[in-house]
Amino acid sequence: MSTLTPDQIKTLEQSRQRLVQLTHSLASLITSLNQSDPLPSWTSLQSQATIISNNLLTISDHLSDNRDLLSTLVAYPAPSYPSRNPTNTVALEQLLRTKLDPRVEDWVARGRKAGGALLPPSSSSSDHPPYGGYPSGYSGDNDGNKPLDDLAALSELWDWAPVEANLEARRRNWGGNFTLEERESGIANVVTGLRRVLEDDEDESGSEEDEESDVEGEGEPDEMEVVGVRRRSGAGATGVEFDIAPAAPSSHPGQLKAVAPEVPLEDILRFMTVGVVPGQR
Amino acid sequence: MHELLLFASVPAHQHHELLQQLAGLTAMQPRHRLERRLVFKASRKPGLVTTRVGASQDLQGADMQRLNKMLNGGMYFTQVVGAVTEADLGATSSATDVDVSMSGTDGPSYCYENQSWKLEFRDIPEAGTRSAVTTRLMASASLPKGDIAVPMNAWGYSFVTEYMVEGDVFVQNDIVIFLHRVLLYPPAGPQEAHGPRRSLPAYHELTPLERTGSYVLQAAITVQDGGNQEMMKTASQHLFGLREQLKSAVRLEQADRLSLDTRAK
Repeated sequence: MSTLTPDQIKTLEQSRQRLVQLTHSLASLITSLNQSDPLPSWTSLQSQATIISNNLLTISDHLSDNRDLLSTLVAYPAPSYPSRNPTNTVALEQLLRTKLDPRVEDWVARGRKAGGALLPPSSSSSDHPPYGGYPSGYSGDNDGNKPLDDLAALSELWDWAPVEANLEARRRNWGGNFTLEERESGIANVVTGLRRVLEDDEDESGSEEDEESDVEGEGEPDEMEVVGVRRRSGAGATGVEFDIAPAAPSSHPGQLKAVAPEVPLEDILRFMTVGVVPGQR
Repeated sequence: MHELLLFASVPAHQHHELLQQLAGLTAMQPRHRLERRLVFKASRKPGLVTTRVGASQDLQGADMQRLNKMLNGGMYFTQVVGAVTEADLGATSSATDVDVSMSGTDGPSYCYENQSWKLEFRDIPEAGTRSAVTTRLMASASLPKGDIAVPMNAWGYSFVTEYMVEGDVFVQNDIVIFLHRVLLYPPAGPQEAHGPRRSLPAYHELTPLERTGSYVLQAAITVQDGGNQEMMKTASQHLFGLREQLKSAVRLEQADRLSLDTRAK
């Protein structure tokens, strides 16, 4: 048997380093799970899982790239190996094994089983519980539910959904303050949470008079609703416009029209400051 | 303390809408406020006021000093403000039985002897500031309850006139928004012309100073340390922010400086 070339030694060294990285990241995940209380946040768990999975990927790539070399290598102790030291002996025994460690054999068996379950139909998936709605059922529809990850079914859904949504939308009257259901069961029972009386568009002008007086009648400044800056005026054609101020409170019921103030702001402020009645200066 | 102000004139027909808009903007219900305001004018030369008569033990040290400075400085108009409620308007005067009317228990009757007062001093707005807001020195102090004309006269102030201010207060962050108007009392008999009224007329007897019933919108920020330029700048920027927000509704502006001139000539 020839001695190893530097390239082959380098490959072995790389394998060792990557395995060390993997054990490190696994160990850190285990410590964080064991020691942190409460459990680490899911973001950190996820990033650790990503690191481990990347480690596994690189190792797997590396091993398969160098399959020829690694499968033909044979380990044997050189005469200079210090086998007297008991810890070294353990390492030596590990290296000289021809079969896998029993625990590792278990892992490998489990891994093969799990991997086989993911393979398309050939392997049975009976021992894996279905999760999330689209389980191992690549093969077809169970329970009549089409699996969403089937591209054909997905596009079928996309074709179906807009039409159906449109049909559903057409069945409703979107313009008014009340839905059809609410109107059928009587709008008096609807809890709107508003103090102002909502008008019902379907009713004709008769009731609007009442509401107008409801809304405008009191002119109570204490009972403001908290509404936005813009108020949408009602759709009634009879001139019910809520966004025009009803009146200056109670003392001047007649003044609905827009009247510009007669006394300039300066004169009002001057009166408030020194009591000079406007027009007397 | 300093006060930064912006004003706007609000026509009567816009008042209701603006109340709604302000309620939406500030996310609060309007706080209705009714105040009677008495205008006093310093009537003696500064320096002559040497004695302080009246129930001045209510005043604490700092207030006292400030008040003293105000009284002995130049001559100014000052205002005495007393909050009243709707129930006080038109109620019969119960000034005679002081013993019965403990604070808060005087029922529907208006008790002049129990009216609490606040002295509000406002300097003339600062001149020559580049900023587009009205800035003025201000100070307030609480005054003894009851008949305020006597102590004010003793301090060298004479009664000029009085009026009622009706309005609604909103608060948005550090801005106090006061939408108000001035109401005048009906012409008084000769015995009441020289002092504050002891009873208040009913609400419907009050007439707005501005006959069309228009309102004044006042946005104010009070700054404790007027010497802090940074703070004053921040405050005026907040006011400009409000002016932008209300731009489509009202035009908030700096007031004419001379219209807020409180100096007594």
